[in-house]
Amino acid sequence: MAVEIPKDTWTGEVHAVTLGAIEADGGTRTKTVTVGGEKTLPFMHFEGETPNAPVVAVEIKDRRPDDWSPLLEEAWGSAMDDPAAWAKAAEEAGADLIQLSLSLTGSDGNPTTPQAAVDAVKAVLGATGLPLLVFGPGQADLDNELLVPVAEATKGERLVLGLCEDKNYRTIAATAMANDHLVIARTAMDVNLAKQLNILISDMGLPLERILMDPTTGALGYGIEYGYSVMERLRMAALQGDAMTQLPMIVTIGIETWKTKEGKVGDGVPEAWGDWKERAINWETLTAVTLIESAADIVVLRHPESVKRVKAAVTDLMTV
Amino acid sequence: MAEHTVTFDIADEPVVVPTGTMLAEAARLAGIDIMQPCGGQGRCGRCAVQVTSGSARSRSAQRLSPEAIEQGFVLACQTVVEGDLTVVVPPQEKVERRLTTDRVAAEIAVPVGYDPHSAQTIRRFSLMLSPPDMADQTDDWSRLETALRQEADIPRLRVSLPLLQRVGAILREGEWQVTAVLDTETWDCERCLPRLVDLIPGRVPHTMPLWGAAIDIGTTTVSLWLVDLITGKVEAQVAEYNGQIARGEDVISRIIYAGKSDDNSREMRELVLGTINELFEKACKRVKASPAEVAKVTISGNSTMMHLLLGIPAENIRLSPFVTAVNQIPTLSAGEVGLDINPEATVDCLPGVASYVGADISAGVLSSGTDDTDAITLFIDVGTNGETVLGSREWLVTCACSAGPAFEGAGVRDGMRATVGAIEEVWVNANTFEPTYRVIGGKQPRGICGSGLISLLGELFLTGIIDKGGNFNVDLDTPRVREGEHGGEYVVAWGDGTEHGRDIAITRVDVDNLLRAKAAIYAGFTVLADSVGIPFETIEQMLVGGSFGKYINIEKAVDIGLLPDMPWDHFQFLGNTSIKGAYLALLDKRSRRRIRDIATRMTYIELSADNTFYDAFMSALFLPHTDLSRFPSVSEAMTTKG
Repeated sequence: MAVEIPKDTWTGEVHAVTLGAIEADGGTRTKTVTVGGEKTLPFMHFEGETPNAPVVAVEIKDRRPDDWSPLLEEAWGSAMDDPAAWAKAAEEAGADLIQLSLSLTGSDGNPTTPQAAVDAVKAVLGATGLPLLVFGPGQADLDNELLVPVAEATKGERLVLGLCEDKNYRTIAATAMANDHLVIARTAMDVNLAKQLNILISDMGLPLERILMDPTTGALGYGIEYGYSVMERLRMAALQGDAMTQLPMIVTIGIETWKTKEGKVGDGVPEAWGDWKERAINWETLTAVTLIESAADIVVLRHPESVKRVKAAVTDLMTV
Repeated sequence: MAEHTVTFDIADEPVVVPTGTMLAEAARLAGIDIMQPCGGQGRCGRCAVQVTSGSARSRSAQRLSPEAIEQGFVLACQTVVEGDLTVVVPPQEKVERRLTTDRVAAEIAVPVGYDPHSAQTIRRFSLMLSPPDMADQTDDWSRLETALRQEADIPRLRVSLPLLQRVGAILREGEWQVTAVLDTETWDCERCLPRLVDLIPGRVPHTMPLWGAAIDIGTTTVSLWLVDLITGKVEAQVAEYNGQIARGEDVISRIIYAGKSDDNSREMRELVLGTINELFEKACKRVKASPAEVAKVTISGNSTMMHLLLGIPAENIRLSPFVTAVNQIPTLSAGEVGLDINPEATVDCLPGVASYVGADISAGVLSSGTDDTDAITLFIDVGTNGETVLGSREWLVTCACSAGPAFEGAGVRDGMRATVGAIEEVWVNANTFEPTYRVIGGKQPRGICGSGLISLLGELFLTGIIDKGGNFNVDLDTPRVREGEHGGEYVVAWGDGTEHGRDIAITRVDVDNLLRAKAAIYAGFTVLADSVGIPFETIEQMLVGGSFGKYINIEKAVDIGLLPDMPWDHFQFLGNTSIKGAYLALLDKRSRRRIRDIATRMTYIELSADNTFYDAFMSALFLPHTDLSRFPSVSEAMTTKG
């Protein structure tokens, strides 16, 4: 007897969001990347369409970071001294997107200036044709101070500006609106908070097709279950027709996994933990693949080997 | 275009205006200043006028009751002239009374048919004793008992040693004429002998008040009503912040503080006793009585307050599985409790249900009549703890959540209790962002009370000064919205118009506190209703208690998502229901028995048992709610505004 697989019918679907703009559309990218558009839970190909595969963004910085793992320094080498070279290397490593994180300070210890931020962004745009995500240093005032000139200097590129948070979203959303960019709405692992921030940003007039949401996650062993569950619930709400949850999700996995002890520490750990490099890459890869299963559309990674493995996994999962 | 004559009753002469002129504009031309605090948007209803003849067309009568519309009332800012009109402009205070959204707390009325002889446990008898002599050497006490037997058919009495020590002297001081005050029965000992509470030399006239008091010990506010037990009338009402606030704003931090040492526990007890004793002083002074004349006290309050008052360790209220030391407290005397009144006075602490549903809720159910109606009723007590009771005559379920003291004006920078000088309602003009407000007592403002904060929050939200998340829009073109110490703030009153000379403002931190308070309360009753499978549509009446003012603007409370979006006629505002229940129990032993029944009947639902409450809370932590479909009328108001 043939087994009939039961199918859920969903009334809602995720918005398709296109990152980057080619010349004809007012940008300079050689390709754009579209994420979202799912009509079913992740990889339930028998049940509904998943028109766009999850993609990998590689995180780079505007200067050599002071606190990154030696394993990452070994992987990227001297490219880390120049954002343009780093972006190129990332593209070669298989990145679908580049995520440029602006540093809090320059190498001289003074706060990063708007001009330096604009220069770094332009250098990266010049070095790669991939769509770009630009994150501020993570302090509300400085984020606004740097991201506004960046947005203005790159009008029409459909950059993704990060991060909008519930207490600081107006400036970034406004500049994204004025300069044809996208934003990321980040909230602290809670379905309602995520919805609320999406409402606030769309209330300002930014269409939902230009918002990605970052529900925040923890690395494997550091609260990933909680992040997984929140993402799963957000996606189910989206498929059930709740408009304010129908946004593609991005999670910054690199920064989370490379600060865990398992990823960071090579010496003085139990022998059973095995080879440091292999362990660290596994940690990042496993975290990423797990969250892709819980409906992440974009995963941001740091190690080139993780990029390779995660992309291979996605290819497998997308094969019907 | 056709022109029409509009005659205003209070104008010197009629004005002639073309068809389509707004009535408010016609009034202005006639030299009449009609108040439009909301900026002529039909939101506040303060510009209501009565069209007694002629033709006018209104695009909105949102604020007016059907009766008012029937009588020809229209909103001047929403009505255009389409023919000759005669218009009566009513005085402002009459307008305010006509508005459908305001719910004024019911007056305190002596229960119908109150008869101290049958209802009151405290009785007073004037006695004439025969003096002893060599032929009659009966002892003083028997002499008193004999007189009482003859006068009142009370054969025997109980008495405390301190009072017994004074009996002989009092009898002689009054030259064998005395007035005895007895407590004839208590709820926990209906067959006990009556107890002598007071013995006063001489004859106290029947018309003299016999004092009792009802007290509500709130986490934030302590209220006391001084009552004449003979007439049943409340003769003085006083309230003050609970002295324990200095040791923690919520019950949990108070329990922790009190639990640290015996000294702390004693301190907490003394702090609240200090507040109560001051209130006794104040109330008694007002009626020119002495606290020593108070013969009976009923006390309501949440379980933690009751434990801390009595010095009973409250630790287990806080710790799983959350049990109190005692829910039904035996009758006590004022001396042992530590009240500075007649030490023999009966102290009756009303019964609670559970750790977080205390006597305040049993009393509230009694005074609101939630236990005595066929209608499915939701009763909420908006206080530091938001307690909710759902049910009817047949069944009652209850739950509690911690809301914080914001709606009582505490924990808000310019917050204050609802007394003279408090801003109790605010309207904000949507175009100029200028506020109009009403102050209790009509003088210069000192701060904002709970009802003022509800109203202000609603206005800030509807005028776009704050967004749905409570963030101030500091880019607005008005000096009233500014960057404060902790983010944005809105200035309600400039320093040159306030009593203390400082600006009165609401800050980002205040807004967050208010949002958390309203979210907790809303989440509490939604989870409760869900837990018994009662959809909101089937709830027939919504009774609101709380000590945040003498009235509440239902519409604003719905706008901010504190109360559910139901037809306005479902709501009744009852004021402080806890003290009203204590008052009823003070007056009538049948009411006291009913409270005991209520306390045993209510089913308590523990909200901390799973995640449901947290989810509901986070979802309500938004204006009006993350799920806007729960608030259709607010969503409509927002569309109209846009």
